[in-house]
Amino acid sequence: MPTPIDSVSDESLLTRYRNGDGASFEILYARHRQGLYRFLVSLSNKAELAEEVFQDTWLSLIRSATQPQGRASFRTWLFQIARNRLIDHWRKHGVHNPLHDSYDEQLHVQPDDTASPERQLSLSRDQARLEAALQALPEDQREVFLLRLHGDLELPQIAALTGVPLETVKSRLRYAQQKLQRLLAEEVPA
Amino acid sequence: MIDSRQTPDPADEALIEHFRQHTRGEPPASLDAFILATAQREAPAPRPGLWKRWWLACQRPRWQMAFATVAGVALMIGLVLRSPVPQQELAAPASLDESASQAPVVAAAPAKPAPAPMARIAPQAEMALAPAPASPVQSLADEPKARMSKSAAVALPSLEQGLQEILRLRQAGDTKAADEKLLALHKRFPKEDLPARLEALQKR
Repeated sequence: MPTPIDSVSDESLLTRYRNGDGASFEILYARHRQGLYRFLVSLSNKAELAEEVFQDTWLSLIRSATQPQGRASFRTWLFQIARNRLIDHWRKHGVHNPLHDSYDEQLHVQPDDTASPERQLSLSRDQARLEAALQALPEDQREVFLLRLHGDLELPQIAALTGVPLETVKSRLRYAQQKLQRLLAEEVPA
Repeated sequence: MIDSRQTPDPADEALIEHFRQHTRGEPPASLDAFILATAQREAPAPRPGLWKRWWLACQRPRWQMAFATVAGVALMIGLVLRSPVPQQELAAPASLDESASQAPVVAAAPAKPAPAPMARIAPQAEMALAPAPASPVQSLADEPKARMSKSAAVALPSLEQGLQEILRLRQAGDTKAADEKLLALHKRFPKEDLPARLEALQKR
């Protein structure tokens, strides 16, 4: 049976922390630490950089007095902070921001022959292959897929976070999933 | 081709679930410890309750002055509004009411045109106007008189004006009205020697 604190929303926990309840932050952190960390590792493809941005994101949240604005959920807000921090890092170090590339999804479409349930069951479970398949995705498709995977965000939330139209988010996610199906199923013996 | 479906494809959800199940990676324990320690250290101080905040505000000199000023003003207003009306001002309206009822008594006095000496009129008036032995019923009946506003009492003429009016009436030959005024004035100012003051005023 869940205790009352488990049913408290993220936004309420943040408000409690802002009002001096330190224990609320621990719950909030426990809920989101893993998803945010994995998102950053997969998006940046560098563990050290992911740890730096991860730490920076949480410290920013601790030291800020702001709350999620409007209808934005805490989760969307948290991932947006992390994404902005990562982009800031890339800018600061003169790295070209791959997330801002204009990308024509149509050019990357390949025939999808992996939709059958049999092929889905034979997806690779190898950690290295999963990560390699993710890194093989174009950056903007990977970002949308990772926000869906680790942030558990809905497509409209992803559209708001990334600042792209909803239809574009849908197509990116679709193409990403098609490519991942193909990459992870290709070498599995039938 | 763009897929505009709103509902997620079960196959796509299965792919995401597959990744969730087989993806590893945790933030280092040292990073967790650092972030949690920072959060505890920099957690905002708990906000005090309403009474505590009020009490703290009361302890500041600026607010002490403000509260003292407000309390002082409230006390003064309360005192002004609830201060008893002076007995003299209360007696005047009562005597006015009673003077009308006593008019026949005075009229029954000798209709001599010469002004009657005060020494003879006053005891009669006192007897006529003397309050009956205090009874609860009488005191209750007197209460509305006592509640008359100060503004009504202020409108009454002063002693000097009353005496002048009596002299004027006597000079006009209206001794009856002059006697009534004198009785009323005596009721209002029982400690004043009205005949002597009248005499002095007449000489002036």
